[in-house]
Amino acid sequence: MITARQRWFRFSASLAGGLFFFCLVLPLLTRSVPILHRMAQHLEETGIDPSRYYYTDVVQVKESEGYLSEALGEQ
Amino acid sequence: MSQAESGIVVDHGQSKWSDLWTKEDYLAIWLGFLIIAVSLVAYFGFGPKAEFAERIAKAEQLQSAEAAKAPFKTIAWYKAEDDKKKLKGTDSPFGKFVSSWTKHPGSWSSNPLDALIRSEAQAKAKNDKAMPAYEEAKAKAAAAFGAATAAEEAAMAANFKDEAANGQAKAKIAEWRAAEKSASAAKSKTTNKPYNYIPTLIGLCLFFIVIFGAGMTLMKKSFFEFAKGFFIVFLVAVLAYMLGNQAICKQYGFGAEAWGILLGMIIANSIGTPKWVLPACQVEFFIKTGLVLLGAEVLFGKIMAIGIPGIFVAWVVTPVVLVCTFIFGQKVLKMPSKTLNIVVSADMSVCGTSAAIATAAACRAKKEELTLSIGLSLVFTAIMMIIMPAFIKAVGIPEILGGAWMGGTIDSTGAVAAAGAFLGEKALYVAATIKMIQNVMIGVTAFCVALYWCLVVEKEADQKRTVGAGEIWHRFPKFVLGFLAASILFSILDSNLGKGMANSLLDGGVVKGGTKLMRDWFFTLSFAAIGLSTNFRELAKYFKGGKPVILYVCGQSFNLALTLGMAYVMFYLVFPEITAKI
Repeated sequence: MITARQRWFRFSASLAGGLFFFCLVLPLLTRSVPILHRMAQHLEETGIDPSRYYYTDVVQVKESEGYLSEALGEQ
Repeated sequence: MSQAESGIVVDHGQSKWSDLWTKEDYLAIWLGFLIIAVSLVAYFGFGPKAEFAERIAKAEQLQSAEAAKAPFKTIAWYKAEDDKKKLKGTDSPFGKFVSSWTKHPGSWSSNPLDALIRSEAQAKAKNDKAMPAYEEAKAKAAAAFGAATAAEEAAMAANFKDEAANGQAKAKIAEWRAAEKSASAAKSKTTNKPYNYIPTLIGLCLFFIVIFGAGMTLMKKSFFEFAKGFFIVFLVAVLAYMLGNQAICKQYGFGAEAWGILLGMIIANSIGTPKWVLPACQVEFFIKTGLVLLGAEVLFGKIMAIGIPGIFVAWVVTPVVLVCTFIFGQKVLKMPSKTLNIVVSADMSVCGTSAAIATAAACRAKKEELTLSIGLSLVFTAIMMIIMPAFIKAVGIPEILGGAWMGGTIDSTGAVAAAGAFLGEKALYVAATIKMIQNVMIGVTAFCVALYWCLVVEKEADQKRTVGAGEIWHRFPKFVLGFLAASILFSILDSNLGKGMANSLLDGGVVKGGTKLMRDWFFTLSFAAIGLSTNFRELAKYFKGGKPVILYVCGQSFNLALTLGMAYVMFYLVFPEITAKI
């Protein structure tokens, strides 16, 4: 039988683990590995959000559509 | 999403008229279409339609005159184009009202409170910090404009008959456009405003309680029980947004939806989700309503955006990979769950999370199966987003081919844009467009999966009975029809309104200032609800033997090979003239 204290410990440990990975390990890795660091800078400059999953959420899709429309002479 | 112990849902009920106001699928359609109707009336009925029409007509008249005058797009042509792009429905009073009341926690890097509150002083500090870069970019854009003006005047002096002068003018104008784009991006970093999202978040929570609570009441469930638990589901969604908008999490594609599941699961499997919260974990209701609204963003006209090569890469390769992966999963891997198989196959072959959501709802997959599928997609998307552009550069694959390859294989659109941008500008344009065309497949995929499940899979599971049309109708997930109806409606509106009005009022108003804002929230709520009602042990069962991973890896390997082959054939052998124009 798991006690309430053990449940709260599990909750805190899991949350802390997740935050540790995303807020400490991953930023450290990103700064240390040149390709990841370049990626981070590039994303900061361009404003691209890789976490967006549908095309209407990504501004660059509209720009791409516009460029191709002009390039392929549809306007 | 539910499954009987045999693994397949077999619903032997009969449809009744009362289903229209008591069944979840129909209620999701009515709620979705209510939001769509309010948005359409607000923007087209009471919005600046007449003003926009006048300004668009004026700009287009000017553009026609410029196009008749010169063999290239002149400065005046581009300025008219910029004027059209500035017209946005979201700038109207209704648009501003909806945008402000549906705001979710924003981006932050080191201080999580930045996601919720920004003071005047903080906004001013950010603007002041970005100002030197903007001033520099603005000066460069002004210089480029001067050079472009001089070059265009020189071309005009020769009556646009001097090829060299025309070429020079076109090149200088292109440089000016690039400088303008940089200046615009720099300017956006100097226009930070103070905000406090806490009051609007409270208001939004109450609004959602009312609209979903009304649905719960019609389904003969307790409004009060739902309302009580919804505060926790909403809170988890808000925290998910906060964590998902942290700069590093965003970079690796780990957004609000993923955090909703993770945070919810941590709570459910440690301190335990309180019983009084579970009535508010209406995963299917949130997802189905969200999907009906997503239909408004599935525009069939988009499939021609890059011509026939785009259709082959996105709409021919994708179903081949989907079907082959599903068959592989059934016949070779012998996946114990057909629904998990089809959700992973759709997730990997179509477009990641959004395809997984639509397919899972269409075949009534378990929420654990959706969770597992999305988890796989996130991990492989992060890896592919980094490795693919590096590999393409290393082996010397041309930008356009590389872009088409990444667009057709990397799961999420944001990651595709990121990977395309790392490779180059043209790669970004091609990759993002191919992905957009694939996104449009969601509607067709959901419909075909729903039909296949009703007609074939459930029939196989229910061998003793013959099934009539009435029962097939009863089993068919009706919300898919709502999803398709929204898609067809908006596709018709998009093609009939004219490009200018479609961009400014339909996409820039009804969608971006209405349906999309709600859709985003509904999906985040559903993932928070999934997390809060998911048991780790249940989830681990589906991972047994590593079959879902093997399925994903094998399917994605086939996808990579076929997409590369098809992209090469289409862009370089069959339609090289299209590639030359890009």
